[in-house]
Amino acid sequence: MRALVLLCLLAVSAVTQTGNFGAFTNSDDVGAPPLKGSAEYDPATKQYKITGTGADIWAKADQFHYVWREMSGDFAVTATTKFLTEGNAHRKASIMLRKTIDADSPFLHLAIHGDGLSAVQFRSAKADTTNTLDFPMQAPGVFTLKLMRQGATVTVFLAREGETLKELGRTQNQLGSPVLVGLGVASHSVEALNTVQFSNITVEPLAAPPAAR
Amino acid sequence: MVSTMRRVFMTCLLFASVSAQTANLGVFANAGDVGAPALAGSTVFDPATKQYRIAGAGINMWAKQDQFQYVWKEMTGDFSVAATLQFVGQGAEHRKGGIMVRQSLDTDATYADVMIHGNGMPSLQWRPRKGEDTNTFDLPIEGAGTFSIRFVRTGVKMFMYAGRNGAQPKELVHTEVAFQGPVLVGLAVCSHDPAVKDTVVFSNVSLEAAAPAGPVRPPAGPAK
Repeated sequence: MRALVLLCLLAVSAVTQTGNFGAFTNSDDVGAPPLKGSAEYDPATKQYKITGTGADIWAKADQFHYVWREMSGDFAVTATTKFLTEGNAHRKASIMLRKTIDADSPFLHLAIHGDGLSAVQFRSAKADTTNTLDFPMQAPGVFTLKLMRQGATVTVFLAREGETLKELGRTQNQLGSPVLVGLGVASHSVEALNTVQFSNITVEPLAAPPAAR
Repeated sequence: MVSTMRRVFMTCLLFASVSAQTANLGVFANAGDVGAPALAGSTVFDPATKQYRIAGAGINMWAKQDQFQYVWKEMTGDFSVAATLQFVGQGAEHRKGGIMVRQSLDTDATYADVMIHGNGMPSLQWRPRKGEDTNTFDLPIEGAGTFSIRFVRTGVKMFMYAGRNGAQPKELVHTEVAFQGPVLVGLAVCSHDPAVKDTVVFSNVSLEAAAPAGPVRPPAGPAK
């Protein structure tokens, strides 16, 4: 009987993880950080509270908590991020595209750091070093991020709370399809947890890509 | 006698031509094509106006191979380069003119550049390692025009500034590129079409070495 209850609990837990998760389907730590991350979805507010830990999303391998779904083709993702915990200046919240959940997978994300630094960062090939594009510093705060993929082109948009989304620019990548699309949180410290609230989330498939460069 | 005089005169002319190429390029030291474009480019510096008129051909500066006309100087450490540029005539939408920092003259060398495209698209582009693919970040297009650009190196960080049609160059974005030792710093023009040469006029060109960030090391003493 006890075994059955445990089995049921496990089953419920698994369903919660994958069945009632808003725009996304899965959540897990990437890169096996020593502390455990977590993700909660509130169907009433449609908000995610994601707690992540890990050294960083940088260089040749990543440690963070990821909430994702698989998608193919073109799409646009928006989310409003609010850091709920203090911590390292470079703790990160991001909209992340990723080939796999391997720590050294190719990825591209639009990230906001704890200190207000916004950046597009990417790893073009498995186990390669991360490239970064850092935008001029802003004060810390609540930001809305938008990432749009059309073919090989990824366009990024950003707005501070109360402002309208503005295009920062675009880059090219070869992540292809299918790709994992989701939200990432890293604490930039293996000893700290960083919690970020994501709200106003939209994930929309888009029509065919424009002509190649 | 006449023929000897003539040979000497010709030799002097040749010498003068080579001297002009290397000694009268304003803040830069050398000019030439990179990546052997089908059409040869050229660089003319006018000491009176301090303008550079750079004609460059080439398929592109992109992916694993670059073709362009380059005027450059070797530098070590941090620096800031600025220029105002204007395309002459019509050309391919993605013809390029801008500031190029390069590890070597190899066609697939590590580089970072601030490029203005013919259609007015400002871009920060870089090849993180020799032989790899180019990365790009394209800023929103406001339209073609005259652009004032600046490229600042601070360690591994490369900061891009740009302003259009008289606007003060504004910091837009920076990336990180791990150059090793001395680098080539200069101006580049590529037509994005091997059968065409494009001309870009660069004015208000400045090149400043930044003071070293750390304490200045005393000069080395005699070897022991």
